[in-house]
Amino acid sequence: MVNQTNSASYEKKSFIDHLAASLSWQRFLLGVGLFMFLAMILFPFYWMVSSSFKARSEIGGRNPVYIPSELRLDAYQELFNPNVDHFQDFGTNILNSVRVAFPTAILTVIIATLGAYAVARLRFSGKEFLINSVLIVYLFPAVLLIIPLFAMLSSLSETLGFQVQDNLIIIIFTYLAQTLPVAIYMLTSYFRTIPAEIEQAAQIDGCSRFEVIWRITLPLSVPALVTVGLYTFMIAWNELLYALIFLNSRDLFTMPIKINTIFNDPSNRLHTVMAASTIMTLPVIILFLSFERFLEQGLTSGSVKG
Amino acid sequence: MAHVKNENQTGIFGKGIRAQETRLAWLLMSPTALIVFGLVLFPAFFSIWISFHDVGLDNLNNVFGAEFTGFDNYRDVIDDFAFKWQGWNQWGAFVTTIVYSFTSTILTLFLGLIAALILNQKFVGRGLARGIFLFPYVAPVVSVAFVWRWILDPGPAGVLNDVLMSTNVIDLPKAYLAQRGLAIWIVVLFQGWRYFPFAMLMILARLQAIDTTLFEAVDVDGGNAWDKFRYVTLPDLRYVLGAIFLLRLLWTFNKFDDIWLLTGGGYGTNVLPVLTYQFSFNSSNFGKGAATAMILLVFLVVFIVIYVLTVMRNLEED
Repeated sequence: MVNQTNSASYEKKSFIDHLAASLSWQRFLLGVGLFMFLAMILFPFYWMVSSSFKARSEIGGRNPVYIPSELRLDAYQELFNPNVDHFQDFGTNILNSVRVAFPTAILTVIIATLGAYAVARLRFSGKEFLINSVLIVYLFPAVLLIIPLFAMLSSLSETLGFQVQDNLIIIIFTYLAQTLPVAIYMLTSYFRTIPAEIEQAAQIDGCSRFEVIWRITLPLSVPALVTVGLYTFMIAWNELLYALIFLNSRDLFTMPIKINTIFNDPSNRLHTVMAASTIMTLPVIILFLSFERFLEQGLTSGSVKG
Repeated sequence: MAHVKNENQTGIFGKGIRAQETRLAWLLMSPTALIVFGLVLFPAFFSIWISFHDVGLDNLNNVFGAEFTGFDNYRDVIDDFAFKWQGWNQWGAFVTTIVYSFTSTILTLFLGLIAALILNQKFVGRGLARGIFLFPYVAPVVSVAFVWRWILDPGPAGVLNDVLMSTNVIDLPKAYLAQRGLAIWIVVLFQGWRYFPFAMLMILARLQAIDTTLFEAVDVDGGNAWDKFRYVTLPDLRYVLGAIFLLRLLWTFNKFDDIWLLTGGGYGTNVLPVLTYQFSFNSSNFGKGAATAMILLVFLVVFIVIYVLTVMRNLEED
């Protein structure tokens, strides 16, 4: 602050002094505000990770243990080691989440690319109707759709002979219904930023429409495709309600409902809950930090419904 | 669309181009259309149908044979003690949903605005701070909800209890999430904590587009930082604030996860999405559940239309 007043001393002194004073006052407020926000945000995350390294006695004691005396792996043992009491077999749950989240992300990217290309580049009757019906999905609460879906699929399963409950493929399809509208919306606006002239040039050179998409549009859209893929992966990774309704067998539980089950265990297993939560949160935070630039753009275009 | 005209001008394609394009477009759209119609639009209409029929676990395998019951389900919902207003101690889910959605949206907007103003300043480590500020929003809801429950634990090992007892604010540990009248505000706080980053990002994008000469103009006029905020920043943000308000309100209204995980809908925190779930999957009365969801949807649509026609239109004109 002192330097600033010196360097600007050729200006009207009183005004500069006033500015410097208000500036440092602002700086102070900024510091306090920043500190409060960081503390408010980071403490729960610190509490999650540190609690995961505590013993059960440190969880249910008379006082909270703010800094664990040592990094105990009791909770992680319970999650992964079949030889300890209260073995949770969390490896299976991680695998289930992966088996749901990856296909959802990949299928969404493929299907949405086709749809978004049609919306962005082709003129066809019924387009407005299609776009509007896709976007109206935003309005429907997931909880409204779960009842008819459940009833509909239960009815269908009798006639078509497949199982609705405990069927990961059904889960993937219901997730697609949630992720596709968002993905199409994002990809359409991205495709519109690619000049149509590039595609026309390729068409004049004799490329077919599919060759144009494959050789020109897709390579240019890699950032958008990555963003959409990451988002839909995260949506499927975090999803709770549909998994809760459609999965009954513990062997097929995805991580969110498994964590809910451990939490509701009458014997207090909070350290295990925190360990499982840490395992579930870590990949999301790492993905987010490594692709922050892409993901922030996606966030501001309203891509995450939630 | 410009390229279609160009193609016609260059004359490479014949007259059938439009028909050919339509065919291709529908081919490309068909997987999306199939999923959206089959798993979203049809179920949405089917849900209206269910709300007028007696659908339970017993006839779930033969839904279409369910008995038509007119408005019985709706009457059941409106008369249900969990739904209707019964005075200041028993808000009922309908009023709770409205209070909860509005207060959490306003809190989200307020925190988002402050966070955006902070991150709009230049300081060392701003990029990192920006990343950290988004953590609550990107982290899985299950994890953060359970950490909050653990921090608010009713036992003496709960962090909040420990802090408040050691500073002598309270004598005995409190069950914050299991106390009528308090639990709802804790849930609102959680919403503010979890969703302010969304508002922050949208506001930040807008802040960075503000013409800085306007701030210089305030300087010239002898105005201070508060004047800058009041006369330049806030008017400029009005539209984006209005839009975030609508989006967040919509999503909060429809939200199931947060409240179900934090309180299970107990202690005066029951909202319509959780009530829908309880009617359908705890008491296996799908007709009643669908009716609850329809009431939620109708209220939402009416609100959106009014909001867009009045508030958003005014914001645009200014």
